[in-house]
Amino acid sequence: MRIDEAFDEFQRSVNEDVGQTRLARERRDLFKRALISEPDVTEAFGSGSLRRSTQLKPINDVDIIAVYDTTQHPDWGTAGLSAEDALDHARGQVNRLLGKTNGSHGNEVRLALPRNHAVKCFLDDPDDENGFTVDVMPALRQADGTLLIPEKLTQNWVPADPEHLIDLVADRQRDWEHFRPLVRVLKQWRHDVAVTGRIKSLVIEVLALDCMPTSGNRPSALRAFFTASAARVNERVKDPAELCGEIQPDLDYDGLQAALADAAELADRACAAAAAGETDQALRLWQEILGDSFPAPAAPTKPANPVTGAPALITGTPALITPRPIKDAPQG
Amino acid sequence: MLILVPHHAAATIRQAGPWGGMTLRGNHEDLAVIRGVSTRDGATFPVNTSPGQNLIAATGDVRASGYWYRVAPVLHVYWRQVSGRLGTRVPLSVFQEHLTSGYKKPGTTPYLALTYAPNLTDAFPDHNAPDIVAWRVGRDGAYPLNCLVEPSTTGISQIQDHWPVRDLQTAHVMLVGAGSIGSATAHALAGYGIGHLTLVDPDRLSWHNLVRHTTSRRHVGRSKVTALAEELTDLRPDTTVTPLVLDVIDDADRIRTLLPQSDLVLCTADGVAARRVTGHLARRAGIPAVMACVLQDGALGEILRLRPWPQHGCLTCRRQALAEHGGIDPEPALDAGYGTGTRHRPMTAVGPDLHLVAHLAAKTAIATLLERLGHPDQRLPGEHGLISLRRQPDCAPPFDLNRTGETRWLPATPPRPGCPTCETP
Repeated sequence: MRIDEAFDEFQRSVNEDVGQTRLARERRDLFKRALISEPDVTEAFGSGSLRRSTQLKPINDVDIIAVYDTTQHPDWGTAGLSAEDALDHARGQVNRLLGKTNGSHGNEVRLALPRNHAVKCFLDDPDDENGFTVDVMPALRQADGTLLIPEKLTQNWVPADPEHLIDLVADRQRDWEHFRPLVRVLKQWRHDVAVTGRIKSLVIEVLALDCMPTSGNRPSALRAFFTASAARVNERVKDPAELCGEIQPDLDYDGLQAALADAAELADRACAAAAAGETDQALRLWQEILGDSFPAPAAPTKPANPVTGAPALITGTPALITPRPIKDAPQG
Repeated sequence: MLILVPHHAAATIRQAGPWGGMTLRGNHEDLAVIRGVSTRDGATFPVNTSPGQNLIAATGDVRASGYWYRVAPVLHVYWRQVSGRLGTRVPLSVFQEHLTSGYKKPGTTPYLALTYAPNLTDAFPDHNAPDIVAWRVGRDGAYPLNCLVEPSTTGISQIQDHWPVRDLQTAHVMLVGAGSIGSATAHALAGYGIGHLTLVDPDRLSWHNLVRHTTSRRHVGRSKVTALAEELTDLRPDTTVTPLVLDVIDDADRIRTLLPQSDLVLCTADGVAARRVTGHLARRAGIPAVMACVLQDGALGEILRLRPWPQHGCLTCRRQALAEHGGIDPEPALDAGYGTGTRHRPMTAVGPDLHLVAHLAAKTAIATLLERLGHPDQRLPGEHGLISLRRQPDCAPPFDLNRTGETRWLPATPPRPGCPTCETP
């Protein structure tokens, strides 16, 4: 199997299937239509990874932003109870519009619970860990085009600009067709990384915006991403709109840095192996980085070095990886 | 004899008609440069020639004239064949036969000629002959001469297929200190293809600097940064050099405002205070700093990379960690000038040793920038590099390098609690 074929196959294993993606979009659009019908809602649009097309399989949540008319809610947007009021207001609307028993636009929502920034709407059994949810986040449009969103815990409204991230991702995808698919690959990669706690998918997405090249093939781009990220993650990963600060202050940065550095080393070797025509070796190294879902070579095709009988240099791999001789071609 | 063909002359010959005249200027080194070309028998236009500047200024130079011709490709194959045989020539009849027009019969004195063979590669793909070659045409035949045709691209972009030229051409490095190490560092950074280089140093070039500095005697008395900027601009035109006659301590406020425009600051300044100030300002600006110096009277070269990362300590933190382990003696008067102070002796390092450190510092800076841009082949083995320039026995670790030329890389040390540089203000 060629390297690009292996990446194609791996990508298919990472991507959500078309039916599930379509269902998620239909549910998102249902919420959008219902919310925009409300007289105090001026805009309703999707955000999050589904909007950016960087969603990872399985899709079990969708993000909606409902922008409210400030003239109809003049008390919103300032510190105090208005943040919680906005969330309660949105919950009431969702129940009225889409509630299970008597929703006017549909009967999708079994339960709607206000959380810190959004109303989490359960479309399946709330006890189902993989149940589908829709997060509806109320917001106010500011004069500079950014949003104010409620934060229940601090009883305040905080600035945010999710559309900026949407635009950035779209621009990068226009520049290079592999950007979004590789973001999904990296989001998958993070699940197997040895870090304390979890890594937010947004951290990986912003790192990709910062460190992923805008051209080239997928292996070399991943190699560059891991290399650059291993350095840049030490500078902390921050909101690209420069409004919300650090995305995940409690992130295990040391663990993530070490994982990125390890991946960079392996990716460098994988690219070197591929360049030397050692496709199987390259596949094996990519599998080491990306996990067992990455296609392995069919079977060993090269015997152990008959001259040196060199042992395997990588524990657990066949004796196929032998030191690469330097070419005797002096320059200067 | 060697004939230099400036790009402008070559372009004219390639685009013009079947033949023309040319004038040359040569010197006693059997070197000539084309100074003017004409098409057919029209006026001769001067050629803007950078490679021949030295010939124009040379005394005792000689003028010469000749012709250029458009020829059939096979003539250049003959040129290639006879070039390898001493004293061998192409018969005049053969030479003339392959010209399209304009043939000038040689008189008693031979004349110089260039021939241009279009479509040569298509006609003879395996012969590797140049499309413009030179001849001395006399009555006994046409003898091949060497010629160098200036390529249309001569700068750093020539190597862009093998080196990340574009990434570096947009990069901006501030170099604090333009002394012995600094001048060589500047040359190395420009050699790597850094697009923008800001030089900071308050000093003027003195006689005693010449033994180690890269700048030449004719600049004595001028600001080091000005002299260096002029030389670099001449040598490496792909690098934009901005000289600033500033002292990083006295003018820290101005440096502070300039640093955010830089991707990295490299400090080769004398004295602990200047190094500390540079490191502090860089950390506040959120950019990496690379410090280069020699220790132990020039016996040890040292490169410190200070990246503004939470787990990496500043210069002071690292020095204190070394001092606590008995590795270094933090002299209180370490920032006294060379040859002054009770603990200091005159600088004893030799220029090339300093330049070796300078080049390692430049490499460290370039690698730091490129790693951050995703170039895996530019990762360094650590943050603190040591190189033995003259082996010193019985030094405390980590300076216990056993042989001259040995290098060692160490990891970073963490910030110390309460450090005014490392802790967020």
